[in-house]
Amino acid sequence: MATTAVQEIDNTSNDASRRPTLITGDLDFKGITETVCGVAEAPSAPKIWYYLMAISVLALMNLFAMIGYLITVGTGVWGLNNPVGWGWAIVNFVFWVGIGHAGTLISAILFLFRQKWRTSINRFAEAMTIFAVMCAGLFPGIHVGRVWVVYWMFPIPNYLNMWPQFRSPLLWDVFAVSTYATVSILFWYVGMIPDLATFRDRAKDKIRKFAYGILSLGWRGSSRHWSNYEWSYLLLAALATPLVLSVHSIVSFDFAVSQLPGWHTTIFPPYFVAGAIFSGFAMVITLAIPARKMFHLENIITIRHLDIMNRIILATGSMVGYAYIIEFFIAWYSGNAYETFAFINRAYGPYWWAYWTMFTCNVIIPQVFWIKKFRTSPMLMFIISIFVNIGMWFERFVITITSLSRDFLPANWGYYTPTFVDVLTFVGSFGLFLTLFLLFCRFLPIVAMAEVKAILPEAHAHHHEEDH
Amino acid sequence: MADKLDSQTISLGPIGPALLKIGVIVGIIGLAAAFMGSYTTELKSERFYLSYLVNFAFYLSLSIGALFFILTQHIGRAGWSVVVRRVAEAFAANVALMFVLFGVIFIGMGEIYSWTDPDRLAHDTILQGKEPYLNTPFFLVRILIYFGVWILLTQYFLKGSVGQDSSKDPKKTEKMQMVSAPGIPITALTVTFASFDLLMSRDPHWFSTIFGVYYFAGSFLAFFSLMAIFFCVIQSKGLLKDAITVEHYHDIGKYMFGFTVFWAYIAFSQFMLIWYGNIPEETVWYIRRFEGGWETASYFLLVGHFIIPFIVLINRFVKRIPALLATIAFWILLVHWFDLYWIVMPESLKGHVGISWIDIACFIGMGGLYLAGFAFFMGDKALIPQGDPRLEESLHFKNA
Repeated sequence: MATTAVQEIDNTSNDASRRPTLITGDLDFKGITETVCGVAEAPSAPKIWYYLMAISVLALMNLFAMIGYLITVGTGVWGLNNPVGWGWAIVNFVFWVGIGHAGTLISAILFLFRQKWRTSINRFAEAMTIFAVMCAGLFPGIHVGRVWVVYWMFPIPNYLNMWPQFRSPLLWDVFAVSTYATVSILFWYVGMIPDLATFRDRAKDKIRKFAYGILSLGWRGSSRHWSNYEWSYLLLAALATPLVLSVHSIVSFDFAVSQLPGWHTTIFPPYFVAGAIFSGFAMVITLAIPARKMFHLENIITIRHLDIMNRIILATGSMVGYAYIIEFFIAWYSGNAYETFAFINRAYGPYWWAYWTMFTCNVIIPQVFWIKKFRTSPMLMFIISIFVNIGMWFERFVITITSLSRDFLPANWGYYTPTFVDVLTFVGSFGLFLTLFLLFCRFLPIVAMAEVKAILPEAHAHHHEEDH
Repeated sequence: MADKLDSQTISLGPIGPALLKIGVIVGIIGLAAAFMGSYTTELKSERFYLSYLVNFAFYLSLSIGALFFILTQHIGRAGWSVVVRRVAEAFAANVALMFVLFGVIFIGMGEIYSWTDPDRLAHDTILQGKEPYLNTPFFLVRILIYFGVWILLTQYFLKGSVGQDSSKDPKKTEKMQMVSAPGIPITALTVTFASFDLLMSRDPHWFSTIFGVYYFAGSFLAFFSLMAIFFCVIQSKGLLKDAITVEHYHDIGKYMFGFTVFWAYIAFSQFMLIWYGNIPEETVWYIRRFEGGWETASYFLLVGHFIIPFIVLINRFVKRIPALLATIAFWILLVHWFDLYWIVMPESLKGHVGISWIDIACFIGMGGLYLAGFAFFMGDKALIPQGDPRLEESLHFKNA
């Protein structure tokens, strides 16, 4: 890539008398096309990309190995036993589904809220969403034991006349997550069509021309194409908006419809949604910081974009903190001995270390985002986003494991320990996630060029009036 | 244009003092009639106090909704909403009036909240466990804290915004944006615990972690509905005609639609999880609301608070015709009021819904005082924040 390292420009401005610029470095329409297309058109990717790819593929192979081992030997290779029948697989499932929330929130909800800054980050946040949902879908799929009949999760008419349990939230999950995956992929792909056409038009060799030509569905950029495109985008945004809330609400039902103390509480749906957005944005930061450096996108994904995302992390982290406080208070206020015990046990029982890791990473550490320095320094926010990722994984661990390990009868209590297969499968899911993400960065438009151009000052009629 | 705009936005004009006078008279008559009328009922004065609590929660929710509106608009650096924000600031400042009106609840506490009864406490072990929280002195301290916080915040935003009318200082906006950030978690926590104290503790055994969010959802929805009605009425009096356009109504309508769905989402989450868990100590609250006449009332809430506004507000044209929007907004306010009635009453009115003229008199009476309070806080202040740096953006705002 010809571009040299780009200077960081602080375009976060608190000045209320004018709207700060979103795109820096005097990038015009052509500049944006060149920068974004340059990522995929460069004859070779940056060296670091190859290193990361090698590590990711290695982790991915390990995932395949672990799944193979699991299927041949059985779920006994995991640390599951009585009383903890839901271990890392469910924790990982909820963790990945949560991460898969930022993309659609950015693309759909922020679109409806007219948040222009979303345009620089929506594309790769959506891609990340889809890959995260894939990782999530993996875990319940391999958890069923007999993987070869996993399609029984869907209500398919069959000769056994056997149906899934419609009253189970696990089945609702199948519907919720598959709907979400479908709509997210559609939304991502529809949004990408104009940019794929740009790739096609700039392609030099036949293979690229053919591949991008097929993918761009005959896009010619006529005004009728644009009109249809914008309508479908708006409709998909409206359809995706309730999905952002519904998916994690239904995931929370997996726990909350039960009668288990620590699981059965009415705040779970909105609390899970807030946590999902929180973890999703943290993952966006985790990926955005290296990606913008690696591909020299600092003028498109600017400090201001990062600043706003960190504010959202602060807000959603505080919502999660709110839920922790209210849960704890009501556990006491309810006067229910089991409920009170479940919470005391979380904080001071055998899993106290998990609880306090969760609390520190999710509630205390993100509070540093009140300080501007932390919101605008890529290095610092990267570190904090890692803490949030850790914290949100531990949140699901705390919820799943502590409540199961000590329920109503002390005779049933136990202590859960994961096996190496649990750990390596989780590591492997990162391999899947990062491999797909790295491929995406290299071969697809990483930034929504057409949308970014539409928010440049040049795109508005007034701009020229002022000039002349 | 500018002169015309000025004459429409300079102040409430003669409407203000008239509203103040009529409001106070209606208020005194309404509340006095409700109080005296209550002695004709079975429950005697308890009937009045309960009705008073329903209406108190209702008008408080409007001010709480207004405060959340101001906070969220500042934190989001919103441009579209500048022209509607002054009215919100005055409605939010009305929490000070609500604090005064709390006095009656203080007097009637013994009849409203069964946990204040020493006899019950002596025999009720669950209640004894909660006594460190549910006791009169601590309850009053908490109420003082809630209202103290709300009055400070609402006065800060009203004064700051009015001061900016003359100073035109954009720095003031930056300052208010900064205050709004900690303002949100503080308000969220105080509103949550206030809803626990004022409403949830009506059944002191029952608990629901989502209850605060439920009250917030209704409050936010109710405030947007109030705005739609208020602007429609005030524009018919010739005020704000050019400042607030169909585009602003459209955005208010979108929020009404969004929070209709949000309310339903929260209400469903609470109901479904309790129903599915089927644990007696939680279901007791809903069973009471599904017995006798209350069953119909519960289904009515589903239809009236969710399905009807959903079907009406999903249409674009409804949001862009002020009279239509105000009509559905009026409906939403009524069902929101009924939602609170449905929360407060079944513990005392078992087996029958029994809305009586006392509730209506109380509703109108407190409404009179509430509007008078609004007129008081509005005074001769400008109807739009004239000094806001984003005023132009708001005046020319269009839904793309």
